[in-house]
Amino acid sequence: MERNEIIEKITGIFREVFGDKNIVINDEMTANDVENWDSLTHMLMITKVEDELGIKFKLKELNRLKKVGDLISIVESKLQ
Amino acid sequence: MELHSLHFLAFFAVVFVLYYLFRKKKVVQNVILLTASYVFYAIASIKIVPIILLMTLFFYFMGIEIDKWNNKGDEDKAGRITTFTIIVGLLPLFYFKYFNFFYDSFVDLFNLMGLHFHHSVLKIILPLGLSFYTFRLISYAMEVNQCSINAEKNLLVFATYVAYFPSLIAGPIDRPNDFILQLHTNREPKYENFVEGLKRFLWGWFMKICVADRMTAYITATAVGVDNGATMFLVALMGPFRTYCDFAGYSHMAIGASRMLGIVSAENFNHPFFAQNISDYWRRWHMSLTQWVTDYVYTPLNFKFRKKGKLGMILAIYVNLFVISFWHKASWGYVLFGLYHATLFIPIILRNVQAKDLELKWIKGWLLHPVNALKAAGVYLLVTIGGIFAHAETLGDVAVGFKSWFAPWGMPSLHDTYNIKVFLICGLVIVIKDYLDELGTKYNILKSNKPIWVVLGLIVFAILIFFLRGDAPQEFIYKQF
Repeated sequence: MERNEIIEKITGIFREVFGDKNIVINDEMTANDVENWDSLTHMLMITKVEDELGIKFKLKELNRLKKVGDLISIVESKLQ
Repeated sequence: MELHSLHFLAFFAVVFVLYYLFRKKKVVQNVILLTASYVFYAIASIKIVPIILLMTLFFYFMGIEIDKWNNKGDEDKAGRITTFTIIVGLLPLFYFKYFNFFYDSFVDLFNLMGLHFHHSVLKIILPLGLSFYTFRLISYAMEVNQCSINAEKNLLVFATYVAYFPSLIAGPIDRPNDFILQLHTNREPKYENFVEGLKRFLWGWFMKICVADRMTAYITATAVGVDNGATMFLVALMGPFRTYCDFAGYSHMAIGASRMLGIVSAENFNHPFFAQNISDYWRRWHMSLTQWVTDYVYTPLNFKFRKKGKLGMILAIYVNLFVISFWHKASWGYVLFGLYHATLFIPIILRNVQAKDLELKWIKGWLLHPVNALKAAGVYLLVTIGGIFAHAETLGDVAVGFKSWFAPWGMPSLHDTYNIKVFLICGLVIVIKDYLDELGTKYNILKSNKPIWVVLGLIVFAILIFFLRGDAPQEFIYKQF
């Protein structure tokens, strides 16, 4: 899957989980930039990413995610 | 040695002078901090010094071992060593804090089943600070395992992080990631650090001496043998604010003392009584503990249960709150406290509103919107109810606590009117300050660092604390944990 497709998929997931149809993700985005993104909704988002992209995260990988760009990169690496 | 005692002031003054005499030698500064920490600890009881020393050495060597296997790419082995390290690290805490509870509970269970058991009451006393530095150590092992930090090879730095005396009695529970880095630098004296630290320290002292201790004296004198529902309900309502002034007061003093030493310590409170729901409250109350449990208990569990959606989340919250409450005390009262608070999360999680509508709205730029004020009042009431569980040793105590609210209501007891006036006026000052902080920093009158305001502030504080101090200085509530 191309990076653009991954970004499109993740954007759709963000809009659904965080309840904002206008979210546009970028590499530098963090939880502080999105209303309703907290530890509870974070896991809902991660589960959706796993289900819709057919991948599985390890807890250590999640703990290293500091921004959306890290999420996109790790998804990219898992889909290669 | 309590942080609000004159002995501590003298002790700190000596440490402060020596510390900055060697401002260009970070090694000597760390030796001074470590020595001061162990002296501070030994004054409490020399017998318990070996515990912190042995735990420090154990985690130091295990941290290096965890790092080694991570660097070799064997994350599974590193993980197993981490698990082993944490289990061993929890053993002292289990023995000193929880053994009695489980032992007594099993004895009661056997007695209930007709298997009468004779036992002598074990008097195991919890060593000072054990809960706090155990959690600092576990945090270190977890962060090394997650490769967020490298293992600390400098034993002096590591030991100083563990035993750091301003946070020893009652936290904050600093994470190694930011804290240890600071110990690797020379800490130069800076006017801003000194003034900000002193302001925090004095503010905490004010909260403790003029409000918390006064309220404690009133509550202790009032709540005995009283058959007046109004009085008992009033005393219960005072509980959360009293605990806030005591514990946040300590935190301010610890953070202020650290700042005077040029060290930034974790924040522990963020005006919890402005919380808009219970989830918001736990993000504002005892933040260093809540964050610790969220990162090391809730998140891994939530991750493990993620396929179960909101049900998994709720289960993780129950375990989370159970750990938080059991960390405080091994009692059936605190077990119920954890269950109660976790249950309050259920409607929030089901409606997915844990982070919705938390922002405070202001009318004409200064007046808190009535809806926000009502929500905050509602959360305060929920916390008050939780306080009945927290202060109960047994289920019977819980029943007595709630029943006391329903005794016939008469005029609340207003004995000791001087004490009441002092804590009401001083308590109002605290509420106003927190209100101004929530409103925005430009309204925060304590923000100025100009020498004239600092000197005036010191004079005002000296007068307040000298004339308004309680007659019976109380220990910090969270020292018992």
